[in-house]
Amino acid sequence: MENNNNLLKWLNGETSDENLKPLKEIEGFKTIEKIAHYSSQIETPKVDVSKALENLKLKTQNTAKKGKVVRFNFKQLYKYAAVVVLLFTTSYFLLFNNHSSFKTALAQTKSFNLPDNSEVILNANSEISYVQKEWGKKRNLTLKGEAYFKVQKGKKFTVNTSLGKITVLGTQFNVKERENYFEVKTYEGLVRVAYKDTVVQLPKGSLFKVVKGVVGTTNTFDIYEKSWLQKESNFKSTSLGFVLTEIENQFDYKIETTNIDLDVLYTGGFTHTDINIALQSITIPLQLSYKIVGKKITLFNYDL
Amino acid sequence: MANKSLCDEIYFNEFYIAHIQSASNFAYYKSADKASSLDLAQEAFIKIWENCAKIEFEKAKSYLFTVINNLFLNTIKHKKVVFEYAKSSPYLDVNNQSPDYLLEEEEFKEKLKRAIADLTEGEREVFLMNRIDGKKYREIAEILVLSQKAVEKRMSSALKKLRIKIDGI
Repeated sequence: MENNNNLLKWLNGETSDENLKPLKEIEGFKTIEKIAHYSSQIETPKVDVSKALENLKLKTQNTAKKGKVVRFNFKQLYKYAAVVVLLFTTSYFLLFNNHSSFKTALAQTKSFNLPDNSEVILNANSEISYVQKEWGKKRNLTLKGEAYFKVQKGKKFTVNTSLGKITVLGTQFNVKERENYFEVKTYEGLVRVAYKDTVVQLPKGSLFKVVKGVVGTTNTFDIYEKSWLQKESNFKSTSLGFVLTEIENQFDYKIETTNIDLDVLYTGGFTHTDINIALQSITIPLQLSYKIVGKKITLFNYDL
Repeated sequence: MANKSLCDEIYFNEFYIAHIQSASNFAYYKSADKASSLDLAQEAFIKIWENCAKIEFEKAKSYLFTVINNLFLNTIKHKKVVFEYAKSSPYLDVNNQSPDYLLEEEEFKEKLKRAIADLTEGEREVFLMNRIDGKKYREIAEILVLSQKAVEKRMSSALKKLRIKIDGI
């Protein structure tokens, strides 16, 4: 062991001359000496350092010329692909899909014909939109607000609203969809109304009404009763709040109330031609009073 | 000193000149293939040049030998190695010119050559780095990322094997 360590030291060139003597007495040192001597004579390929360095520079330059290998960036490609797809889809919708829409402002009604000659009369502050291209395949439109439909016989005719879906084949009906208020009246034929998960069939003269998510109990109405089409609005046990909103829609006035219960039920109607007569027909039966200042109407209790 | 960078061509060249020969030798100890050893070393230096920013100057040496080792493992099949002696190498006893002695020494050299070829790769590289490159154990340990003890162990087991092969003990 001791000898072994000394030998290692000797091979590592750490042995001084005086320590060499005992080492030489180790058995077989002659062989070890020869091993140490001749093994160092094994020839290794001599490197011409300057030439090798030159070669290396050449190689690195070549790789440098190639530049950093930038992997083809697929993410980049996705970006362009997305742009192209977007371009195509938007142009498709813009050029071919022709989303038609009709809109009425406050105190304005509009009547027009759909591509199949079905008649639509759009009440104030309402909007209808449909896809012209698909009209031939399915008569599908979206309504916001109130409209009267006189549908030509043909394929299924669907009116989508945010609250429910009305499907008919060919009839006359009225759809009213205002905030928290949904009403369908059938004037002719049969109308199918899908509201949430219930489906209601409405024959001529019946109505379907949902107020603040509650399905109304009254389900008939007088089809000869004057409606907004004759420039008159009629209500049957409807809370005052909705009636006032309708006034706002029809006359483009802002209504404010003081100390008035907006949930009180009102049955009756008002004309669309004169704001004073209209207001009177609401306020008198409910024992209210009103005041018009500019475009603002204030409603208050009679006795105040 | 601490901020010497291998990306700086001056330092890289300095590093290259200092180590290319022993790097090439190291590859040679592993393969005993004259044709490929320099290429292997060159390739390792290119790797260092390309990754110069990531390698600390102080650790570049062991990185260099590690790369060579890996390249060797990846590219060259383990095969029987054959070494050769330098043509004009002096005998141990330069004064003894008797034909018997010369013959005896040649025989010894032949045995030694084969014995070295039979060493394990680990033993051989340590043994030859010490004998041929004159590297101290500490330096070898640093290069191969080993402890000095491990290097000494390889060295002594190499020596033991060589003696057994030659003397038949």
